Amino acid sequence: MITRRNALSLLASAATLPLLPIRAKAQARDLEPDFLKILVAKGKLPPVEERLPSNPRVVKLAQMGRAAGRYGGTLRTLIGGQRGIRLVPINSYARLIGYDEALNLVPDLLASFEVDADSRVFTFKLREGHRWSDGSPFTAEDFRYCWEDVILNEELYRGGPPANMLIDGKPPIFEVLDELTVRYTWHDTMPDFLANLAQPVPLKIFMPSTYLKQFHAKYQPSQKLEELSYKYRVDDWVRLHKRVSRTNRPENPDLPTLEAWMPRTSPPAEQFVFTRNPYYHRVDENGLQLPYLDRLELNVSTNDIIPAATSSGQSDLQFGGLTFSDFTLMKTAEETNHIKVSLWRRAQGSSFALYPNLTYKDPVWRDVFRDVRFRRAVSLLINREEINKALFFGLAAESANTVLPESPLYKDAYAQAYAQFDPDAANRLLDEMGLKPKRFSRQRHLPDGRPMDIIIETAGESTLETDILELMTDHFRRCGIRIFTRSTQREVFRKRAIGGEIMMAVWFGLDNGVPTADISPQALAPSADDQYQWPVWGMYYQSAMTKGEPPDMPIVMELVDLLKQWRHATNHAQKTEIWHKMLQIHADQVFSIGTLNSALHPVVSAANLRNLPEKGLYGYYPMSYLGVYMPDTFWYDEES
Amino acid sequence: MLSYILRRIVMMIPTLLIISALVFTIIQLPPGDYFDSYISELRAMGEASDLAEIEELRERYGLDKPVVEQYVRWVGGMLVGDFGYSFEYRLPVSDVVGDRFWLTVLVSMLTIIVTWALAFPIGIYSATHKYSWGDYGLTFLGMIGIAVPNFMLALVIMYFSNKWFGISIGGLMDKAYLNQPMSWPKFWSILEHLWIPVLIIGTSGTAAMIRRLRANLLDELQKQYVVTARAKGLHPKKVLHKYPLRVALNFFVSDIGSILPAVISGAEVTAIVLSLETTGPMLVRALSSQDMYLAGSFLMFLAFLTVIGMLVSDIALALLDPRIRFGGGRAK
Repeated sequence: MITRRNALSLLASAATLPLLPIRAKAQARDLEPDFLKILVAKGKLPPVEERLPSNPRVVKLAQMGRAAGRYGGTLRTLIGGQRGIRLVPINSYARLIGYDEALNLVPDLLASFEVDADSRVFTFKLREGHRWSDGSPFTAEDFRYCWEDVILNEELYRGGPPANMLIDGKPPIFEVLDELTVRYTWHDTMPDFLANLAQPVPLKIFMPSTYLKQFHAKYQPSQKLEELSYKYRVDDWVRLHKRVSRTNRPENPDLPTLEAWMPRTSPPAEQFVFTRNPYYHRVDENGLQLPYLDRLELNVSTNDIIPAATSSGQSDLQFGGLTFSDFTLMKTAEETNHIKVSLWRRAQGSSFALYPNLTYKDPVWRDVFRDVRFRRAVSLLINREEINKALFFGLAAESANTVLPESPLYKDAYAQAYAQFDPDAANRLLDEMGLKPKRFSRQRHLPDGRPMDIIIETAGESTLETDILELMTDHFRRCGIRIFTRSTQREVFRKRAIGGEIMMAVWFGLDNGVPTADISPQALAPSADDQYQWPVWGMYYQSAMTKGEPPDMPIVMELVDLLKQWRHATNHAQKTEIWHKMLQIHADQVFSIGTLNSALHPVVSAANLRNLPEKGLYGYYPMSYLGVYMPDTFWYDEES
Repeated sequence: MLSYILRRIVMMIPTLLIISALVFTIIQLPPGDYFDSYISELRAMGEASDLAEIEELRERYGLDKPVVEQYVRWVGGMLVGDFGYSFEYRLPVSDVVGDRFWLTVLVSMLTIIVTWALAFPIGIYSATHKYSWGDYGLTFLGMIGIAVPNFMLALVIMYFSNKWFGISIGGLMDKAYLNQPMSWPKFWSILEHLWIPVLIIGTSGTAAMIRRLRANLLDELQKQYVVTARAKGLHPKKVLHKYPLRVALNFFVSDIGSILPAVISGAEVTAIVLSLETTGPMLVRALSSQDMYLAGSFLMFLAFLTVIGMLVSDIALALLDPRIRFGGGRAK
């Protein structure tokens, strides 16, 4: 059997020059990837110069401290199920506007964008000559089609435009200024439009209109649509259009894309192949069209087997399906199986946080939870150092549930707030509250005489949670509080939380531990029903005030108000100030009790894969997993 | 005979209906539906999901309707060959099962053949050499086969086959051949990977079969006619083969009923550990992610095969062994 590796070494030219950039420059005369040469020679594809936009996005690798590379190779990776193919568009991360490594918003598919002073008018300019992967032009028409023919079409969008396109229920005014320029205008400040476009799964405001018009009732006679519906086995044109235009999971190989790799496999399959998009809009400093890698190969496996298969060298890039506990296995296989293990840091605000439920249904307990002294006491009762040493080899950071040092909003004070282990102080706080133990026993009691027994519920998904709770039990008991763990199952857990039936929940900390001031601070105010410190209030705002209850704690109302202020803030300084106010309230009030963050996550790659950073942040948003680190710039170094 | 078969076929209808109701109930028992688990899975990774699309799917597949109505829709669909829609794969169920089906049949058939090929001679040897060293030794080996959990054996074998022979971990063929049409190299690759699951799944079945064959045969060898035949000086081989063995084979035939569904569903746990491209792992995943139509239709298919298998084995038994009568009481 010829593996990729020895095939490459067979192909590798004997000529070796000491310095890579020089060699890459020497090759720069030939910009056409070998992978596409046959198609170009046959006349099925125009040459690379004609395929690129006239002003492609130039990625200056040397400035980023990386090496410019060369074309070629297949990247194999393992996915835990067919759903895993959604990772390709997330990691490939071609967006109108995207985050760079420093988490600034930069134009990517767009040549440029303009936002007026009070964030109401957004003007987007496209790159000239930019084409979809099927060669059809990418123009303002694609935006018009998406807005007028799809989003405003009452059959396709029965509920009207998506909520994050509306302000006070009103949609924007959309204009096409010329073939390459579009404008969206709202009547009031639209704070997170750009951030929504830079999401891992972005807000959809453009679609490949040339391809999709053949499935749209406005452009296609109904008889033809019926034929197509029959062919795709759907009931009507609405489902047909939805089915062929889905991008979250790239299951339609015919759908043109702007991402670096285009899908080549229709499900169901055990292996999904993606090949390079010949019209991709990025080039490196030598003029080579990205991506460097010709093919992606996603092999469907099961989550249980991914670590073993990865360690045996069956994956050239793997981060999903691995956890820190697999690190030792990977490390031992490094030498023999030509893989490299890097440890990245998880971007959550806390790997494990306790959420006393301020909306718990029992009034006596609720008042206890709402007393800030109680929450501070609980935080002081957690021996973070012990947990870190026992479960993370001491490699994680002991911190409250707040932003990470990598975030521009970080302050030491936020991370250290009530994050020391101080049982004496905790005891004093509880005594102050009047939760005194009865005579001859340690057990503390509630004001109404019931013993203080706290049931902590977990979604039952990781042994880490139960291990940590186990470590906490003794410290709590010494302080006169008994804790009991109850592991349920995720749906049950969520339902109980929304119903106000959970006393104290265990969940991750902040999803995004590296926010910038331009990212909405909604995680810090009641806004969703999976905020376990106030699920009922979160539900209230998530359901546009139709379900749940409004908050009745002044300090929480202040957070709601600050979030409103952030939405209307127009400049960076204001937004930063609001963020700090909110983070300060959280640090002070300990609404959620964080333990450790910056936990490590192994990222495994083939030993000769270049440009994958040794250290990075691992998270869904805003990093888009590897997205901001540009997997299209990864390449195989055959000499190593 | 004919009226008996007809009666059996008519009886199958209520049986299958009851099974379908049971299957449906069990699938509905866990709280929430597929979309709840889908949303929360995405949430756990910090991802928000496309709620609009999910609401639309919910409505389309009637998940917001009363349970009874959902059940009627599902059963009604199956009658006209519509097995519903897999949410996980976003495809009709029949499309999803397609490819895996044949691989599963291949693995299971081979497993059954291997099981029989091993159990048959050992069983006969054990019965004819009762309480000998050979009997004990072989039985002991068989018992180990039963006692060691399949998945553990799978893990161990997988590790060593990778270490010694460089066979890739998991799967039924080399990755290069996935999605490729059948060819000699592909077939060879399948054979290369096939022996591991076949051996593992086979080991547990073999021992049980040895014991049953041995017990049946011992019963038969005690009988008068065997003693008589021996006394008359018939060749020992003939004494064994002419009747006792044939009679002892009854249970082989009655096993056909359970073999049919086993051929399709195979050993799920082993298949999951080895990540085989068979239907077992798919069924388990469908159950855990509440992909109800995929799981339900699949379970119904298994039930259908079981019922058919029972019928076939009953008829075959009747043909094989004249002592078996139909219909309790009437023939007395």
